Amino acid sequence: MAAITAAIPRPTSSATGIWSWLTTVDHKRIGVLYGVSAFILFLIGGIEAGVMRLQLMTPDSNLIDPDTYNAMFTMHGTTMIFMAIMPMGAAFFNFLIPLMIGARDVAFPRLNAFSYWVFLFGAIIMHVGFLVNAVPDAGWFSYANLTGIEYSPGAGLDYWAVSLQVLGVASLAAAFNFVVTIINMRAPGMSLMRMPLFVWMTLITSILLVLAFPVITVALIELTFDRLFGTVFFVTSAGGDPILWQHLFWVFGHPEVYILILPAMGIVSEILPTFSRKPLFGYPVVVFSGIVIGIMGWAVWSHHMFTTGLGPMALSVFTITTMLIAVPTGVKIFNWMGTLWGGSIEFKTPLLWSVGFIALFIVGGLSGVSHAVSPSDYQQQDTYYIVAHLHYVLFGGSLMGLFAGVYYWFPKLTGKFLNETLGKVHFWLWFVGMNMTFFPMHFAGLNGMPRRIYTYGTEYGWDNMNLIASLGYLVLFVGALLFIVLLIQSIKNGKPAGHDPWDAPTLEWTISSPPPAYNFAEIPQVEGIDHYWIQKRKAEAEGNPITGPEAPVDPSTIHMPSPSYWPLVIAFGVAWIGGGLFIEIPWPYIKYPVCFIGGIIAFLGVIGWANEPAAAESHH
Amino acid sequence: MAHAETAQHTEEEYTSTGINHRKLLMWVFLSSDCLFFGSLIATYMVYRGQSLVGPYPIDIIDIPITTISTFVLLCSSFSMVRALAATIANNQKGIQIWLLITALLGAIFIGFQVYEFNLFRSEGLYIYTNLFGTTFFTLTGFHGAHVTLGIVWLLGLFFVARKGRLGPKTVLDVEIAGLYWHFVDIVWIVIFTLLYLIGGFDAGPTAVIGPAPSMVPLV
Amino acid sequence: MGPCPQERVESYSNQFNGAGKAASGKRFQPRPLILLISLVALVPLLGCAPDALQSTFGTAGPVAEKQLLLFNVLLWVMVAVFILVEGALLYSLVKFRRRPGDSLPVQVHGHTGLEITWTVIPTILILALGIWSVFTLFELKDPPATADGALEVTVTGHQWWWEFEYQDADGSGRFINTSNELIVPVGRPVNLLLNSDDVIHSFWVPKLAGKVDVVPTRNNRMWFQGDEIGTFYGQCAEFCGTAHALMKFRVHVLSELDYMNWVDNYGQAPGTTEALTSTARKGQEIFMSTGACLACHTIEGVPGAMGVLGPNLTGLANKQTFASGVMDLNRENLRQWLKNPDDVKPGNRMSEQAPVYQTADGNISLTEKEVSALIEYLLSLK
Repeated sequence: MAAITAAIPRPTSSATGIWSWLTTVDHKRIGVLYGVSAFILFLIGGIEAGVMRLQLMTPDSNLIDPDTYNAMFTMHGTTMIFMAIMPMGAAFFNFLIPLMIGARDVAFPRLNAFSYWVFLFGAIIMHVGFLVNAVPDAGWFSYANLTGIEYSPGAGLDYWAVSLQVLGVASLAAAFNFVVTIINMRAPGMSLMRMPLFVWMTLITSILLVLAFPVITVALIELTFDRLFGTVFFVTSAGGDPILWQHLFWVFGHPEVYILILPAMGIVSEILPTFSRKPLFGYPVVVFSGIVIGIMGWAVWSHHMFTTGLGPMALSVFTITTMLIAVPTGVKIFNWMGTLWGGSIEFKTPLLWSVGFIALFIVGGLSGVSHAVSPSDYQQQDTYYIVAHLHYVLFGGSLMGLFAGVYYWFPKLTGKFLNETLGKVHFWLWFVGMNMTFFPMHFAGLNGMPRRIYTYGTEYGWDNMNLIASLGYLVLFVGALLFIVLLIQSIKNGKPAGHDPWDAPTLEWTISSPPPAYNFAEIPQVEGIDHYWIQKRKAEAEGNPITGPEAPVDPSTIHMPSPSYWPLVIAFGVAWIGGGLFIEIPWPYIKYPVCFIGGIIAFLGVIGWANEPAAAESHH
Repeated sequence: MAHAETAQHTEEEYTSTGINHRKLLMWVFLSSDCLFFGSLIATYMVYRGQSLVGPYPIDIIDIPITTISTFVLLCSSFSMVRALAATIANNQKGIQIWLLITALLGAIFIGFQVYEFNLFRSEGLYIYTNLFGTTFFTLTGFHGAHVTLGIVWLLGLFFVARKGRLGPKTVLDVEIAGLYWHFVDIVWIVIFTLLYLIGGFDAGPTAVIGPAPSMVPLV
Repeated sequence: MGPCPQERVESYSNQFNGAGKAASGKRFQPRPLILLISLVALVPLLGCAPDALQSTFGTAGPVAEKQLLLFNVLLWVMVAVFILVEGALLYSLVKFRRRPGDSLPVQVHGHTGLEITWTVIPTILILALGIWSVFTLFELKDPPATADGALEVTVTGHQWWWEFEYQDADGSGRFINTSNELIVPVGRPVNLLLNSDDVIHSFWVPKLAGKVDVVPTRNNRMWFQGDEIGTFYGQCAEFCGTAHALMKFRVHVLSELDYMNWVDNYGQAPGTTEALTSTARKGQEIFMSTGACLACHTIEGVPGAMGVLGPNLTGLANKQTFASGVMDLNRENLRQWLKNPDDVKPGNRMSEQAPVYQTADGNISLTEKEVSALIEYLLSLK
């Protein structure tokens, strides 16, 4: 170890360039890394959607063959959920949580960096399948026993299972970090019930991740073992039960959808008060609803399995629990509306996106209630009616909530506004496009169009619905392009934003934009939920208004964690433990030594990490 | 395994709850690991009595031998407690001895596992033979992997102790390892109870045609 | 809770004292939004089509009807909630938009009464709907008891076709095995035992009943009853591999008389009702030898044609479609299919496994004339 650290010196905080990004442990930079990667993967997922919409635009189309189409819907779902929405959420957790709780970084900065690099390697492994013509093609929830080696002999499912495992390591590590950070690193005076709502939602999301991911880890282990080692977990000829996969997957899968929506709900809960100029209505109730949703989310999983023959007893229980979970969800919506009501609403882009979120999430939530009713779900399950529902809550909900956050916090990250006018156009393009694409799907589904079909005959009467949906995609596509253009333009020439461009209530706005490396010169003493509003109004009342950010100090006087290359090394090792399984040249058996070497690299990395102090002892 | 100086630094860190970050991290990790083992155990329970071919548990499971290895693992938890006590009391020799004993007892447990696995294989039970083999080897295998990682960790602590770096100021390092070790032991108690004491008497499908009584139809 | 005391909700008119008239509305126009929503609302007019072949709205049996009733009630509840909530949202956006000179609005933190109201009322509504749906669930669990009992059919899903087996088609123990087109009498409950030969499929004929999955190792049950004579379209509704989109089937609901006729005439050896033409006889020869079709297909009344790997071809000529509902039964389609099934149904097992298709381009290794003869024969299977 000493030899390695002598050969490759630990980078210092003043390092610049690529090496500084590869070794960064600064939560703000890691947030940027997550955000950029997630956006690129979102675009890839969007292209995959485009291929599908192109194929389905006309009936009896022969543009895309079924195997390719099946790979497209598999990759689209997998990419959007695990490699776009989740890491976008992580980008926000990373950038914001320490700033919002008055901390200088997360509890474990190197673990944080490790999470990002493992995520990146996992996403890469998933896409290597494209290069070797082994793309996963059994759907994003890959039901057994179609996924067994008998019915899916190619390597596609192996890429899917292994890369999801690697991605799971990233999610778990990040979740551990944020649970400890939020519970243990809040500034003095910030009791749990004074935390910004986004922090609460992050805490609940992280706890859900901690408890739900191990379940899919086990499911993936069982699938991988079946495919690689001949075990019989889902092999029907040995008595294996394919429904076990569904139970394991959805016990993870349902909390997962709350993992996908809660961060967006948290973001919207921050934006609405700022642009209504009044506090979040019913803060304790919104917190409590989030907690209730987090807990109840564990009791509804079999509503994804209503048609599998569970029996009326089980179906009744899950019908009732699923319907009940609509109550806390509705309560949140009402509280958001209570925030707007009686306010002084300013229609800046973050507010537009937030209102769009509420409007579209209501639609998705309502159609969700109709699925909860199991007898009618027998008709809806596995049809485009479900596809409509999930896109209303994931695109209209999660994605638009996340973009609300992008427009809101971009000025804090960069010190510049995102172009307000173009931003509004972006919003409208996506709002209109989203409805054009997904609303017709409700009707296609109720008129009998199943999911995951690469083509359909004109005699079924689905032609118009599909045409409108495909045209809607074009609108979404243009919106995405517009965003790229406006993003670049804003980074280069964006209108300057001060430290507090929106007159917002939370701690991150008290410091400069962009924030200094150490975040806060002085850890604040928190006085209430809307601490900065309290401070600003008190100062104004005293005739001494706050006009600038917290004054900067000499960074060398503040002890910050130092950059480190060990997270990257360990992530690299972990990636090879998974990726090694695909190496078959020069001989098939080389995969096991490669995996083993990956393990050794990871192990050595852990020793290096453990022997390295969190902050270099250099200065002082 | 941190240097004493840095550990001192972190010990004085402000925390909202008063619990050290790393200790909280270990608790959060263990709660996650509960779900991990829980899912593997659930898989085993769902598949009890569903194997279509033998060998079946009743033909293979040897409760007496596994009782001994269970006892060995329980003793290792005791020695872990002693190791922590020695650390608090700054008994340098005690720290080393008790850490080594814990690692050794863990290794003996693994030895028993290896012996048992090989015995089962010689009697025709492989991981791919039937549902029993699949669920049994996967669950106990992952548990054994957890124990092995723990042994490596303990040995690492042993070498750190030999350099004199473990003591009252670095109790946390031993305590956190102890949490992990005790967790792994508790998981084994659950596995031993379910797979051996209860499931160890499972036989094959009866001559009656029809589904074997199990949880499968309920899920 | 929390450090800020709960403030009384004050009358909202106070805060606009001195705010003056509405600003000249340059910042936000609700009208375009309303226009857009109306446009979107027009889309449903394109969508409501109970006559569509697989529409869940065009019910023809009690199971689908009961399921639709539940959905219809829910739909109106959803529409009402939508109008109320989205309306309130839109209203608040318009009424409380910022105007120049606005003072800081009243800093309301919440209202316990409101919280209770909008928690309790939805809970009651939801529980009412939930409990009603549980009742419907149990109502639909079993077919109604009738004098002659339900018709029992075993459905087996294969990649990518449907097998239907009647242990007792006519009350006297008549065994029938057929494929892809399910024939049932009108007004009589049909009990389905669902099996799979390989992976999970889902049996869905929307106008008659919601779907139930076809799971290997599980014997799921469902029932339906056709109350109208007619043909109803169905399709596999659980992704099952390459040709999932092409795994279709039909349910023919016949009058009691027509159904009994079908049962009686089923499985007559080819050439019984009308003599086989010479071409058809040649086709039968090809079927039994050079084509080796008998290895996978059964034709009742033809000794030796007992293969069970592929669909039962008995009475093929009486069906509307073939290749699991993918093609209408006629000469041209049969020719296209037989020439190269993979062009019609990529991934199908016949192209993969039948010896006649193990050619360089996947085209059948028989001559045009031989194919014509085969087609003649197939069309004689009445």
